Amino acid sequence: MSRTEIEVTEPAESVQRPPAEARFAGELARLRAADSAARPPGWALSVQAARRFVVGDPALKVSRKFVGDPSLIDRALITLATSRGLMLVGEPGTAKSLLSELIAAAVSGDSTLTIQGGAATTEDQIRYSWNYALLVAEGPSTRSLVPAPLLRGMAEGRTVRFEEITRCPLEVQDCLLSPLSDRVLAIPELTGTESMVFARDGFNIIATANTRDRGVNDMSSALKRRFNFETVFPIADFATELTLVADEAARLLARSGVTAEPRRDVLEVLVTTFRELRTGETARGDSMDKLSAVMSTAEAVSVAHAVGLRGWFLRGEAGNAEDIVACLAGTAAKDNAEDLAKLRRYLAQQITWRDGHQWRALHQARHLLPG
Amino acid sequence: MPVTFIGVRHHSPACARLVADTITRLRPAYVLVEGPADVNGRVGELLLGHQLPVAVFSSYRDESRRHASWAPFCEYSPEWSALTHGRAVGAELRFIDLPAWHPAFEGRSNRYADAELRYADVMERLCRAFEVDNVDALWDHLFEIAPTEGLAERLETYFDLVRGESAAGDSDTAREAYMASGVTAAAAAAGDRHVVVVTGGFHRPALVRALALSEPASSTIPWPDIPEMPDGAMGGSFLVPYSFRRLDSFDGYQSGMPSPGYYQELWESGADGAARHLVEAVAERLRKKRQPVSTADLIAARATAEGLATVRGHHRPGRTDVLDGLASALVKEALDVPLPWARRGTLEAGSHPVVVEMVAALSGTRVGRLHPETPAPPLVHDLDAELERAGLDGAAELELDLTLEGDRERSRLLHRVRLLGVPGFQRDSGPTTGLSPVLRERWTLRPGPERLTAVIEAGAYGATLADACAAVLAERAAGAGRDVDALALVLFDAALSGTADVSDRTLTDIEAAVGGAPDLGPLGRMLAVVLTMWRHDGLFGTARSATLATVIAAAVRRVLWLAEGVRGGEAPADPGRIGALAACRDGLRHAGRALGLDREAAIEVATRISTDREAPPDLRGAAFGFRWALHDDPAAVEPLRGVRGAFVPRSAGDWLAGLFAVAREEVLHSPDVIGLLDELLSGLSPDDFLVSLPALRQAFEYFPPRERETIAGQVLARRGLAGTGRALLRTAGPAPEVVAAGMLLDSRVDTVLRREALIIGDVP
Repeated sequence: MSRTEIEVTEPAESVQRPPAEARFAGELARLRAADSAARPPGWALSVQAARRFVVGDPALKVSRKFVGDPSLIDRALITLATSRGLMLVGEPGTAKSLLSELIAAAVSGDSTLTIQGGAATTEDQIRYSWNYALLVAEGPSTRSLVPAPLLRGMAEGRTVRFEEITRCPLEVQDCLLSPLSDRVLAIPELTGTESMVFARDGFNIIATANTRDRGVNDMSSALKRRFNFETVFPIADFATELTLVADEAARLLARSGVTAEPRRDVLEVLVTTFRELRTGETARGDSMDKLSAVMSTAEAVSVAHAVGLRGWFLRGEAGNAEDIVACLAGTAAKDNAEDLAKLRRYLAQQITWRDGHQWRALHQARHLLPG
Repeated sequence: MPVTFIGVRHHSPACARLVADTITRLRPAYVLVEGPADVNGRVGELLLGHQLPVAVFSSYRDESRRHASWAPFCEYSPEWSALTHGRAVGAELRFIDLPAWHPAFEGRSNRYADAELRYADVMERLCRAFEVDNVDALWDHLFEIAPTEGLAERLETYFDLVRGESAAGDSDTAREAYMASGVTAAAAAAGDRHVVVVTGGFHRPALVRALALSEPASSTIPWPDIPEMPDGAMGGSFLVPYSFRRLDSFDGYQSGMPSPGYYQELWESGADGAARHLVEAVAERLRKKRQPVSTADLIAARATAEGLATVRGHHRPGRTDVLDGLASALVKEALDVPLPWARRGTLEAGSHPVVVEMVAALSGTRVGRLHPETPAPPLVHDLDAELERAGLDGAAELELDLTLEGDRERSRLLHRVRLLGVPGFQRDSGPTTGLSPVLRERWTLRPGPERLTAVIEAGAYGATLADACAAVLAERAAGAGRDVDALALVLFDAALSGTADVSDRTLTDIEAAVGGAPDLGPLGRMLAVVLTMWRHDGLFGTARSATLATVIAAAVRRVLWLAEGVRGGEAPADPGRIGALAACRDGLRHAGRALGLDREAAIEVATRISTDREAPPDLRGAAFGFRWALHDDPAAVEPLRGVRGAFVPRSAGDWLAGLFAVAREEVLHSPDVIGLLDELLSGLSPDDFLVSLPALRQAFEYFPPRERETIAGQVLARRGLAGTGRALLRTAGPAPEVVAAGMLLDSRVDTVLRREALIIGDVP
């Protein structure tokens, strides 16, 4: 499986991370040109082409950008073509936001109508607010109205992304109810036809939520009914995850000026450790307590990066099992004493039955955990 | 010699339809089917008119190998279609594959598992190329719901592609060579008439090649000999009733097409009918379970399914389209495990309840029944013979003494029959665990007409009573999941029925169950029982049994793992968990060397627990005792230092309970420690003493009366007092509760007196 190749069409020197439609503009253009299937009303691509944009199409040189089950993409796109919103849920670090960005870029050609949910998010930031100088001078009018992503998405018939929706208070979330069910947004301050904004074809909402945040703010069941839920899972296949971690770590290390390639056997130990602590089950089938810290693939990449840096800058070689233990404490356990205890117990008791030099080294290095 | 090869996927309705059409059109002289050649003389039995699904069950046993496998047939099996349509056009029907006992089938329990699935690389690449989740979705996409035009050519291309890339393994090669010789013989015998060959698609390219390379037809090619079983081996094949549930429960490489309930509908009423039926069945099941399913949800599910079908290029919604549509519409929260149809295999624990119902609806509940004239499976005869030999074939009330050889034999026999679920064999009393001192059993036997039906059904488990019983126990072990108590019952039933050794597969299941056990208490109880059975049990013949050894090793590991994870401050001592550490100590002490358990690592774990402030006091005490009891050099443990360091007045009793449970002997033989305990306990303030009294009583309960007497004697001697320990313990004084209440009253009086300055200094 090849790693995600990032193709920057317009070299925007000063932009750290251009949006998906800019990063993959070439791919989108090729897909549009080859797209002969019928498009849902208001869509920039047909469902089939949008699907190929995410799962890849070697014939059109479209890279594979998501390594999960292809059927998830099918369901997500069909949901968007119907009248329900799409809710992507899952553990942190499972590429939910990336997926929402890619889908929005494919469906609307624009992934920037984004609301970032948080404790301080208000309805103003979701629907619309006012230019108060104009409001005072001229009274409410379309000139003094400042549309927020939801209003723009409805008026322009585009996909709106709502990141981390469950981090918003419940009553703020509920302002999505009538736009989702009646497809209309009332602006009571205006009069006449301007007081109602009817959604144009192509409008829909992609929301994301962390399963870890379930306790923070639940969603009302009325809102839940208006969304179809899709759970994004961590990468199921060991080999796929290992390749992804190896490629990404190598890329990051190269950028950090490390010339030693990360060792495959060390990465294998690292990825296995992450997967077992994430699922709470060892390769042999013993069940364990899951760590409360996030053991995502993204975290595995960052530990692999740190391991490489330690090895290179401390000893001038690729990282080894000792470096894994040293880096795990900081990344995995963070400041959580309980996680640290779980990690120590894992390293002491669940490693001994495995074969291999790196596993033995990992077991030997267990004393490097702090405390 | 016109030979038509049809490469099929087993249990595929599309292939079954193709087979039926081809045979009806060609009216061949021979229909050759992938199936056990040793059953050829009994094809008539298969076609008696059973209610499907049924299976040919084959068993085999020699000195080194035991094997049981099934060749299941349902109405939409291409093999079944070949037999019935072949019979209808008057063709000669022949199975052309090796018998099920042949070593080529070693490790396979389902003859009709799809060979190509064992070559995972190719299949994975195909799925990637078609951008589908797995082979089942790919198969539906290409064949089941695709238009029927060009089906034969598509199947050919598909299997040529799959086969083209993989070198077949030894066992497949052996089977293909045998099948090819059958095909050449039939081609020669048929002359100008047609021959139709129905085999797994994976084998088709090899058979076509083999026929092309064979000598030009002469009418003298003999049919291949049916391999003879080796001398001394036992086995046979016979028909048994089967069920959709069992058809759907093969896992790993054994699993063929999933979801028999759905494909039965597809076979009967086509893709649209099957889709409609699936939605109805799911809605009905969910509503029966009082899960809300609104009309709006069903409309959304339908719309999504049709949308998905369009995107995926299906003319009509297929299995996964409907399932995906239902999941989108009905699941309103995050899932804990992925949708089961996205990954292959059986349902995972933690699946969403809606998903569980969906899978149940897919699976179907159909159960097969044999035609009354079918010869009874050998188990029926074996069971009758065994019962008759033991004189247990009539109604009776029995009392058996398990210490007598003859009675023990009869008890084993009755237990085997009981385990198969045959009605009319009831045990009224007898030992219930491996530690039970009961050695007599009472049984009531009542023969009835329902006995025969039950034995025929049980016939699917094996040809002899012993084999069938072992298979039932294996199934129960696999189903025990993480329930250690259920597992302990299985092990004890195995001992009662004399089923000493089990298959490797079952050992793996048992190990997995122990490895996933969530609680220390039940695990410790089981370990204690199993260890005793492993060490001493000559009665049931379980001493030094390999099965129990595996259980012990896994349980010792798991106890240590769980013990280190227990968190929680002050809490009353839990006899279950400290008992588990005591059982673990015994395991290491008595079986450690024989089973190669790592004593050093265990002591290391105990050391960590004993010094962990987060661990509850009883467990810390037990871990300290564990270390003391197992350490090569007990002095290095520094018991005095340990006791002094851990002695916190409020939790002293709980800590000591742990210590005494695990290191009773060590404490008893260490006068210094007893002296120190005396000193520390005497030094408790009256308040602290009152608080710790119940826990202290519990702790000292771990010493039997005689040992308590020894301790009492040592305490007396230490204080220079006359009298014996016995006298001290035997004081027929008031109950401790009364003493405690009295002490409380005394202390209150003291407080009042002191407050009023009526006494000064120590009370005498």
